[in-house]
Amino acid sequence: MNKVSNIVRPFARPLVLVGGVLLIVAALLPWATFVLNEGPYPDKATLQFFDAPFAVTGFRFHLLLLGLLVLIASFAPVPSRARVLRALGWGGLLVSVISGLFITIEGGGLGAITAADGATAFGALVGLVGGAAVILGAIALGVEPPAHWTLKLPTAAAYAVLVVVFVLVLLGVSLVLTAGGQGGAANPYAGPLFLAFLGFAAGAMAALSATGAIRFVSELSEKHRIFSVVVLLLCALLLPFTDAGSEYWMTVAANIGIYAATAIGLNIVVGLAGLLDLGYVAFMGIGALVAANFSGAAAAAFGVHLPFPVAAVIAAVVAGIFGAIVGSPTLRVRGDYLAIVTLAFGEIFTRSAQNNIGGLTNGANAIPGIPALSLFGADFNKSFTLGSIKLPAGVLYYVLIVLLVALVMTVFANLKFSRIGRAWIAIREDEDAARAMGIRTGQAKILAFLVGAMLAGLAGAVFAHKNGTVSYESFKFLESVTLLAAVILGGMGSIPGAVLGASLLFVLPEKLREFSEYRLLIFGLALVLIMRFRPQGLVPDRHRRAELADEDVGGAPVDEVHEVPGAVKEAKA
Amino acid sequence: MSTPVLEARDVSMVFGGLKALKNVSLQLEEGKILGLIGPNGAGKTTFFNCLTGLYTPTTGSVLLKGTTLPGDPAKVTTAGVARTFQNIRLFPSMTVLENVLVGRHVRMKQGPLASLFHGPAYRKGENAAKERSRELLEFVGLSGLEDELARNLPYGDQRRLEIARALATDPAVLLLDEPTAGMNPQETEAARQLIFAIRETGVSVVVIEHDIKFIFGLCDQVSVLVQGELLVEGTPDVVRGDPRVVEAYLGKPPDEVEAEVASVVEEQQHRGAQEGQA
Repeated sequence: MNKVSNIVRPFARPLVLVGGVLLIVAALLPWATFVLNEGPYPDKATLQFFDAPFAVTGFRFHLLLLGLLVLIASFAPVPSRARVLRALGWGGLLVSVISGLFITIEGGGLGAITAADGATAFGALVGLVGGAAVILGAIALGVEPPAHWTLKLPTAAAYAVLVVVFVLVLLGVSLVLTAGGQGGAANPYAGPLFLAFLGFAAGAMAALSATGAIRFVSELSEKHRIFSVVVLLLCALLLPFTDAGSEYWMTVAANIGIYAATAIGLNIVVGLAGLLDLGYVAFMGIGALVAANFSGAAAAAFGVHLPFPVAAVIAAVVAGIFGAIVGSPTLRVRGDYLAIVTLAFGEIFTRSAQNNIGGLTNGANAIPGIPALSLFGADFNKSFTLGSIKLPAGVLYYVLIVLLVALVMTVFANLKFSRIGRAWIAIREDEDAARAMGIRTGQAKILAFLVGAMLAGLAGAVFAHKNGTVSYESFKFLESVTLLAAVILGGMGSIPGAVLGASLLFVLPEKLREFSEYRLLIFGLALVLIMRFRPQGLVPDRHRRAELADEDVGGAPVDEVHEVPGAVKEAKA
Repeated sequence: MSTPVLEARDVSMVFGGLKALKNVSLQLEEGKILGLIGPNGAGKTTFFNCLTGLYTPTTGSVLLKGTTLPGDPAKVTTAGVARTFQNIRLFPSMTVLENVLVGRHVRMKQGPLASLFHGPAYRKGENAAKERSRELLEFVGLSGLEDELARNLPYGDQRRLEIARALATDPAVLLLDEPTAGMNPQETEAARQLIFAIRETGVSVVVIEHDIKFIFGLCDQVSVLVQGELLVEGTPDVVRGDPRVVEAYLGKPPDEVEAEVASVVEEQQHRGAQEGQA
């Protein structure tokens, strides 16, 4: 890399400028030599515009934006200019590569993005070259560490800034969620359009983070913690009023919320106490089954219908008891061996539930017909009118789940910065030293399992009512692995990380339905890449960031990789 | 004589066929510094592990102020014996302050529920712990570094932090395992002053060290372990003069060794001469 940048150095600035111009040109060129979608389609999601020049919508609009930003950043006094430019370059490169690859595959060969049948379409290639030129030029300019603002704001101004930022975050989340449209057979382009949007958002976020703006805002919100939490919660509750306020997106958001809550619970066990748990989703399953059995559903084992709050508490307690039972071998086994114990537990749960052991799970028939929750006569699965505004069905579940996530976050944050949380982290860091400091490591580890399992049980209870059916199928090993991947991907021990990881891992399948057979392949690849280039996760915990960043000396700089969109954004969902 | 603050009674430790410790008895008076020296493999660290509850002695017992200590490091620390490690074992990705707060763990009362709800009593306890931890950091000379990650501290500061963390458990006895290993003369002198200051606060100290000069300049009492047995104990002056100690540590005095070598050489020459004759 060094040699290349030495050669390029004298041309660094022109290279960036040419790259920026190429990105803009690419946005205006046709992209496909054939018509991808002939039928009428109401929304932008159609790829009609892939072959129409000058139709600057969707990803081409993003590319145009990136190109303009590159030009602006190379003239305006921007902090950490080269780093910003590099991030923008990556954004352009990603958008071009993702869209280009998709068109190539759909069109059956490279002819689709070059010249065929008398038509020419060089958009993808021009975009690719433009992005690469910007990256190369930026590196040759010399990438400096991200800027750090030392600006001090009066409280009122700080509040104003935070409110504006969080509202922008809200709009950003809505944008990310709906980008590419609803996945599925009706809309085959949702996947690639969403991925291309992620590429753009990643570049834009990385550029923003390079200017130091994100760090500034996060420090500001840390300083005014309570205010930030309240505003974030309000913003989360306002999501139904944005573009994402349809039944479909509310359901998707609610599902993400349930898994985010579970991932935060898992984060206590794995991220804080450092105990690898490969069967965690079983606790969610236990919670869901308990709630289902007390819900008054026809297939329930008990004929009683308990009010939801009572059932949820029982679900959490039962899951917690199982957590403590599973946790008890941790007194004797460490590391890999513990992982195997938890793996076995997860499998025991699935098999028992499948075979209806104890008559509590209804086996392969599942427990269907769980009644929807209702409060003051408002059914949670029906649409809901607030004054004169009619809100889509599922909004009330979304609200409930936002509150659930807020509760779980509070539990996590309070425990993390307490005597108990410090004991957990100490055990993770050095178990023998922790014992020498008087920490009863056995008790502390069981407590971690217990708390983690209770939170999962609680999430499970909400899951049961929201979905209306509880089947063992929803709590298999793959789900445990996905949750673990969400925690590691987002950054161990960090709340926004767990939420972001869960969002990504549970939104992508929704968007990539058409590619469901490649889903795991894409997951796997993404995980390998992230672990290679950003081992501390996307939004790491402060401590872990420092720990793992050191080890990366000699390799690529840790923040080389495009941050996934909405690092901060989705911290709220 | 008053009850010694820390006492080992006939402690023996057997690993399989190896007798690592043979009936070691030792007494530490309150407010004193005891040095434990001995050549490599003498059983110093084994003895230390018996004192801190990491090992349960095969026979014999360890008493703190007349009460037998349980065989569990966490309980021993709770009872009032704190330790540092030969190869520094901090919690590397916690901050300096958090490391000391972990040491404070046993003296804090908050259970899981209090930790969850952060009520007024909880906050009071937490603030008191932070206050005390800052005091200790200042005491060992690390004030101003509270928010630094432990892993980023220079070596000497890491040793100090380990001592602050151990002191945070409010120990009656502090056990230091080679506190000056790897230090330069200035740092060693600073460590000596720090240990004196710790004694001033009423904490009794046991130090394992290789550096004999350091031990003699520091301790009120010195015990010498050789091959699992207590060879000599007494004041530094007594121990320094004891020929057995010199021998165990350095081998025999030079003139004796010379005489021995001379005699061996002579014998060989003699034998050679005899063979030549044959």
